Amino acid sequence: MTRSMGGERSHRSLAQFLALLKVQAKLSLREPYALGPGIGIPVILLVVFGFISKNVPGNVGNSGLTVIDLYVPTIMVISFIVIANSLPSTLVRDREIGWLRRISTTPVHPSRLLGAQLIVDLVLAAAAVVIILVGGTAIFGARLTVSIPFFILSLALAIAVIFSLGLVVVALVRTQVQSQFVGGVLIFALFFLSGLWVQPVQVSGPLQVVMWYSPSGAAVRALLDSVLNSRPPVLTLVTLAGYTLVFAFVAIRYFRWE
Amino acid sequence: MINRAGSPHGEQSAVTIKNLAKRYGSVLAVDDVSFSIQEGEIFGIIGPNGAGKTTTVECISGLRAQDSGAISVFGLSPQRDRYRIREFVGVQLQESALPPRLRVGEALELFASFYAHPLDPHEVLQSLSIKNIEPTAFKNLSGGQKQRVSIALALVGNPKLAILDELTTGLDPEARRGTWALIERMRERGVTVILVTHFMDEAETLCDRLALINRGRLVALDTPEAIAAAAGMNRVRFVPSQPVDDKTLYAVQGVEVVERKERYVTVTGTGDLAASLINALAAMGVQISELEARGGNLDDAFIRLTRETASTEGGPAQP
Repeated sequence: MTRSMGGERSHRSLAQFLALLKVQAKLSLREPYALGPGIGIPVILLVVFGFISKNVPGNVGNSGLTVIDLYVPTIMVISFIVIANSLPSTLVRDREIGWLRRISTTPVHPSRLLGAQLIVDLVLAAAAVVIILVGGTAIFGARLTVSIPFFILSLALAIAVIFSLGLVVVALVRTQVQSQFVGGVLIFALFFLSGLWVQPVQVSGPLQVVMWYSPSGAAVRALLDSVLNSRPPVLTLVTLAGYTLVFAFVAIRYFRWE
Repeated sequence: MINRAGSPHGEQSAVTIKNLAKRYGSVLAVDDVSFSIQEGEIFGIIGPNGAGKTTTVECISGLRAQDSGAISVFGLSPQRDRYRIREFVGVQLQESALPPRLRVGEALELFASFYAHPLDPHEVLQSLSIKNIEPTAFKNLSGGQKQRVSIALALVGNPKLAILDELTTGLDPEARRGTWALIERMRERGVTVILVTHFMDEAETLCDRLALINRGRLVALDTPEAIAAAAGMNRVRFVPSQPVDDKTLYAVQGVEVVERKERYVTVTGTGDLAASLINALAAMGVQISELEARGGNLDDAFIRLTRETASTEGGPAQP
């Protein structure tokens, strides 16, 4: 009896989660927060830096790499940042309007809605990675030799660090207005640190250190090494894991469902 | 469903609350409230704003933990057995919205998937006369439609107990009547309903019994008729032959409230109001015409009972 009830429960639990996943996926397609910017911005950046790279071929900051080589990882991290920024846009709103509280009156805990939303955003991030990788190499001639194991590891850490930072914002801000402000400031800082305006290899001294060991800069460095068939520095991977742990701790500690 | 509670008298009680208390900081929101609700009953909780009505039902639904006192919902504890209780308690929350682009049909399907034995979402929408808005996004609904969707979400799980908080606030009169009809149909299906409201006509029309809560305390617990009668209020309307000021009227024995509209003066109070007024005014040379007198309704009882507790307690409840 226990087994059949347990089986029925896990079956229902899966059905509940799939229903939530379906709804969150539909909403993500309808709402302008994640899909448009998450795919659109990387495509635009790819085209811009792809053409720059065709016109200014060469050796950026003596790194031996072309503009597009360097920007493929940066654009990937930027797409993660933009997608993560949709977490506050949807979840802070869902909390503010009482939707999460409404869910919590049912047999399903609202944490499962959060889980479903994260899966939708992961799929989106994976799609962005494929587009950037294929577009960067096939269309704009980035000379990449992807080291699959390190690339997967770096991707996982890069997405984890950026998404967990998004959840910190969801946990700490109270209103949609606050989340737009905080999100706006954070996006600007993370874009800069990921090398959108100036690549870390082009700067030196303390600024380069700050960039390489910031959440988005470390993510870029790990990805850059692994798409050039080398092993990312252990310190970079540890940095990413450390940030993720701290962000996840803060997000879980301060998360509010209502 | 097996009655695990096994009430000793064999009479099934859906909800039992004993000595419930809940404090927010230094404010005692609910103070020693006890009542029980029979299965199939439509039970109203009325009271002024901030009286503790919502806190009481939030404790019943398990959304809030009480500080002290015991709550039993079909024999289960809303805190200890919260996941089992959510299976058969449907809740309509005050001021809760859906994501703006979520469509009505999708929301109903989603909620139906959460429960073990849900109703058919299409039929629920049909019974609420909102089948036509199934493909409409929440942000494009009118206030009345949103309210009905909220009720539909509370019902689609096929609850044994439905908790409806400020059900018809913000609805136009026609939508209110429609919603009332819906509650009547829930009664026919045997659903126990807790209705939180501050509309006395709603409580009078729908509820089998009422709990009147004021400043966190239970002030009255009875049928709407009995509460109205027990307050012993009368109401007299008349046209005086010359202007009479409020001070003079309040001086008449039994007068509690004086209201004016155009030529008419309406006086609410206790005792033989009409006779007292006629005598007092005649003594001043004022005649009364178009006199109408009737017994007080729930509205009058509400005003009297909430004012009484306010004046006897002289301020917010202290620890």
